[in-house]
Amino acid sequence: MNLVKEILFLLQKEFLLEWKQKYALSGILLYVCATVFIIYLAALEMEAGVWNTLFWIIVVFASVNGVAKSFVQENSNRQLYYYQLVSPVAVIISKILYNTLLLWILSGLAYGMFSLFNPSPVEYGDKFFIAVLLGGMGFAITLTFVSAIASKASNGATLMAILGFPVLLPILIAVLKISRNALVLSMGSVAGSINMLIAIDLLLLALAIALFPYLWRE
Amino acid sequence: MHPIWKILGVSLIMYSLIAGMLVPLKPGISSVHPTSVHTGEYVQMLVEGYNSHYKEAESSMRAWLKIDSLHSFEPKLIQVRDDRHLTLSFQMPSYMPSDKKVHECALIIDNEVDGTSVLPSAVFITQKGKVPNRDGQPWKQDAIQNLHQKEGITFPFRNLLQETIRNTYYHVSLWFALLFLLVAANVHGIQYLRTSDLKHDIKSAAYTQVALLFGILGLVTGMMWAQHTWGAAWSNDPKQVGTAIALLIYAAYFVLRGSFDDEERRARISAPYSIFAFVAFLLLIYMYPRMVDSLHPGNGGNPAFGGEDLDNTMRMIFYPAIIGWILFGFWMANIAGRIGILRDSLLDMSDE
Repeated sequence: MNLVKEILFLLQKEFLLEWKQKYALSGILLYVCATVFIIYLAALEMEAGVWNTLFWIIVVFASVNGVAKSFVQENSNRQLYYYQLVSPVAVIISKILYNTLLLWILSGLAYGMFSLFNPSPVEYGDKFFIAVLLGGMGFAITLTFVSAIASKASNGATLMAILGFPVLLPILIAVLKISRNALVLSMGSVAGSINMLIAIDLLLLALAIALFPYLWRE
Repeated sequence: MHPIWKILGVSLIMYSLIAGMLVPLKPGISSVHPTSVHTGEYVQMLVEGYNSHYKEAESSMRAWLKIDSLHSFEPKLIQVRDDRHLTLSFQMPSYMPSDKKVHECALIIDNEVDGTSVLPSAVFITQKGKVPNRDGQPWKQDAIQNLHQKEGITFPFRNLLQETIRNTYYHVSLWFALLFLLVAANVHGIQYLRTSDLKHDIKSAAYTQVALLFGILGLVTGMMWAQHTWGAAWSNDPKQVGTAIALLIYAAYFVLRGSFDDEERRARISAPYSIFAFVAFLLLIYMYPRMVDSLHPGNGGNPAFGGEDLDNTMRMIFYPAIIGWILFGFWMANIAGRIGILRDSLLDMSDE
């Protein structure tokens, strides 16, 4: 019960912080809009395969940028303060929850903007929706953990990219498989891939929760 | 520690290198010409053998074209041109045992010296006319019997692999060793997290270092093999892609380690990442190839390694090679770890 309370409290703090520093959120939203517009200018006509590729590129890059700030925006003194107040498990769970929500909003915005300029070729909305939801969650788990690591080093921004992208790929591969199916670029059932993706998400979540206390102690 | 395991490791690797390179391949058939014929034709078929001794075995030379397990027929005449070349003169039957338009036949050659060699799908026989004229006669059958066994130690001849079958001992065993090294690295990583003893962190990094080296070697030997059997060094095979990503993950691990000056800090940050990365690595290597089609054996409907690809002679070299590379890898990691620990204590001394 105590843990749930701590998580809720920390989540509330995240939202407050985001509301106070509006530039961070609006910055990342602007990033998505600008990318979509650049792609629109560069590629005039788009086949389903290209659409799928570009959409996920936008989402992945926006996610890395969006999550990168989770541990650097608060200075180390304040983190020490939290360390004394709450358990590290509450910290990582609240950050993951917050980032999951952030990435879902980001992907939703990316989808809306992208299909405004380039008509969406999605045939099976439900499958695509599942891919976005589970993908966003997986990205949030992985990138939150990686940003916790990267924030400890002096060259955090570079580390975020080189540590983040390779560990994102197992999730991305499964997500792309479902998404390709939703765009009728491939046939057959994706139930196996969806289960696999859920399993990957849960596995990485368990790992992040188990390993974060050691990072936090630093 | 007693050095017997180091001696064992080195001698097993030496054994696998020497035996793996020197044992000849079993005689086989490399090619047949022509490969497409029609019923009723009289065909002179040129056969090219591999490692064969046709001249020596001229008197006992026999051959068959095998249509299915019940039907096969012999050539009218066998002429031996030299040790590696034969001319088989076949009178193709006027009709085939079933109504199928095209029959895929295996060529079987047998003699006393080389034993039996088989080329699957060697010749395609096309039936002329729509309804074969059987005239109520039974199909003329030449049974395949009294086959010879090749004496001496050889590796199996596989038409696609040929001499590259030897790569099994090096490419595959490197991967086995790599997995053991990564498990050892993670055991030390977890022990570091439990005890905060820097020695475990240095050892963990040392095992990862050797695993990265083995990974690069495994990728290179695999690419050489792919060049020969799949036609291109990089054919977008999921295991190749997975490996390339895994190498990126572990290269990033060393970049992460390099970005900290303080050893305590370095250890505390990189140990959780290495465990996280190991799980991602396992997902890439074991899950991803099962999700998409792969050219590797045992994936995407391809038969797993075994049966004729890995016979008992090969096992006698393959298993020692795996054990040898594991022991050798652990020795290398052991030395790398000791160097790391010494370097750190030297740095500590120069600080004081």
